[in-house]
Amino acid sequence: MPTPVEDPNKAAFLERVRESLGRHSPILATPDHPTLKATLPRHEEKVRTILGKTEARRVANIALLVKNATEAAWQVHQAKTGAAAAGVVSDIVANSGARNVVRTSDDLFKRVDVDGALRKHGAGPVVLASNRTRRKSEIRRLAFGSELGICGVDYAIAETASCVVIPRRGVARLASLAPAKLIVLVDESQVLETLDDFFALMRFGFLTQRARTPNYYNFISGPSRTADIEQTLTIGVHGPGEVHMVIFTG
Amino acid sequence: MPQVKTDQFKSASVKALHDANIQRALGAPFAHFVDGRKSAIEADYTEESWDSMRERAAAIKAQTIERLDYYLDLVDRNVRRNGGHVHFANDSAHANQIVLDIAKQHDVKTVIKSKSMVSEEMGINEVLEQNGIEPVETDLGEYIIQLAKETPFHLIAPAVHKTKEQVSELFEKFLKSAPTADIERLCVIARDKLREQFAKADMGISGANFIVAETGTVVLVTNEGNGRMTTSAPRVHVAISGMEKLLPAIEDVGLFLRLLARSATGQRITSYNSFISGPRAGSDEDGPEEFHLILVDNGRLELLKDEVLREALSCIRCGACLNHCPVYRKVGGHAYGWVYPGPIGAIVSPVLTGLKQAKDLPYASTLCGACRDVCPVGIDLPKLLLHLRHKIVADGAGVWAERLAVRRWHNAMKTRQKLEGSVRLSRLLLKPIARGGYVKRMRAPVVGGWTKGRDFPVPAAKSFARIWADELGGGRS
Repeated sequence: MPTPVEDPNKAAFLERVRESLGRHSPILATPDHPTLKATLPRHEEKVRTILGKTEARRVANIALLVKNATEAAWQVHQAKTGAAAAGVVSDIVANSGARNVVRTSDDLFKRVDVDGALRKHGAGPVVLASNRTRRKSEIRRLAFGSELGICGVDYAIAETASCVVIPRRGVARLASLAPAKLIVLVDESQVLETLDDFFALMRFGFLTQRARTPNYYNFISGPSRTADIEQTLTIGVHGPGEVHMVIFTG
Repeated sequence: MPQVKTDQFKSASVKALHDANIQRALGAPFAHFVDGRKSAIEADYTEESWDSMRERAAAIKAQTIERLDYYLDLVDRNVRRNGGHVHFANDSAHANQIVLDIAKQHDVKTVIKSKSMVSEEMGINEVLEQNGIEPVETDLGEYIIQLAKETPFHLIAPAVHKTKEQVSELFEKFLKSAPTADIERLCVIARDKLREQFAKADMGISGANFIVAETGTVVLVTNEGNGRMTTSAPRVHVAISGMEKLLPAIEDVGLFLRLLARSATGQRITSYNSFISGPRAGSDEDGPEEFHLILVDNGRLELLKDEVLREALSCIRCGACLNHCPVYRKVGGHAYGWVYPGPIGAIVSPVLTGLKQAKDLPYASTLCGACRDVCPVGIDLPKLLLHLRHKIVADGAGVWAERLAVRRWHNAMKTRQKLEGSVRLSRLLLKPIARGGYVKRMRAPVVGGWTKGRDFPVPAAKSFARIWADELGGGRS
């Protein structure tokens, strides 16, 4: 993809900003900001520490995630085997009464046979991904027509009960947004302790992947909510109002 | 740009004080904001650890603003490297034109909007309508005030002044729904209506809570999920932001998300945070094919030029200063006469729309300091308000009677004789119109306003200094 051209107004705009700050020439060196100054070797060390800490505190992090997720109105379930996790998902779907179910094609579904479990109760989920017979333009219609979405996550952050979803091939943005009910599958190895741990990993990716970052990712930290009418909390406005987190500790 | 009514602060305040719905809205719901913030902070932090976070955030914002040109350049280069377009807009008209050009290029019929205060400054909805494009606000509160054709009452709860009955009436009129006083039902009505728009809209417009310079990432924070919808469903996404919303690196974001969510809604984190660095990748299943970021000046350079007022550019629009302001809590958001209400509005609006017209706003504060105490980025709002008051007086925009009174006061305070002479003169003038030692009502400029709500005491026949000297042995060792 060619790089879009620079706005012709940019130079004059920045010149006015500089003048307003009382400076006449641009800053050429990287400003003295601790994060920006942290180059790859230093950052590598930081990430090693985070990964070591994450491994050492795995049980405590999961306990924190469960506590904070429950406080944030997630319905939390834990399963020790793939079959048990698939069973939990199947029970949630059966209880919800949802007929149109969509899912992403995350790798975790290879270990957690959601499709098989759901077929026992009726039809399996539609995989919300384009292929030879399904064009990308159909994704939006399918997502809006579904009642329940199932997806994996890339990370879960215990501090804020946030599930991080990075859309890509097989992981549509709308799968975790358009349906009124959502189930996320979290593998225990994906649980980080803090927001800062996550952002340090993202910056590491940015520094190692030739300064590229995913063009889009989301934190999902509970149900969709609003208090816009009389400050009264109401759950489920545009996003899912019922959210389940299935933590797979197998 | 929406009509600027900042010169009507006094009359609009009086009107708000007599509006039962507004007074009700300013009661219990705001106690909810205040208590929610307090408990959310106390659940995870000590006073010291919270303050140290605020200090860190203030330092990061101040350093970023000091090097704004550098970071704007960095954002531009990085967003474009990710395949997005970046535009620099000098003012509202310029920004509106950029949006219109993008919309025309893509033959856009319907635009869905996630909350954006800058787009309120621009009056983009009117401009789109005039050009045959339907704009639909998707934040529930913004949607309600769009139907009611009003400006936001609050930074994060724009329709907090509307009762459920008023919302029901609006939905009945515009959406043809059956009347209901059930808030959950009202949300479902709006959700269903907005679903149709999400499914068909060609373009999404959002604001930006933060923009990360190093990675070229727009961070969006919403509780309803409309931010995600706006940036997922349509073909084109346009993010519009004030040029000051920058943070240097992605690792700075965690700190600001913690501060923002607790200060704004008393949450540990907002339900959804989206991080957008460009259009969808070719292999992605969905998402906009084109991404535009419009960085808007629209008067912000005037804030930047002033070394004291520059601090206001650190604001992260959480609304905590409104919730804790004794003036806002009585007069509400519309009295401030433009897009930004409350203490931060009393600073930003005069600079962005003209100090002369908005000269009452910096005085719409008791200077109690509650706003400064709760500001998550430590903005010293009372200092900035005082600075604006100085500017108003220095520019000669103050009230003539006040200037005269201050000049006389200044003269009277020069020597004891002059002071005592002035006190005697005041007693002579005031005694005939006083009742029981107090002047109840005076029909004169400045003092007339003062005596509307208070009684003015007539100076005593003998001053304390004189009693001290004559009767209490003062001055003798």
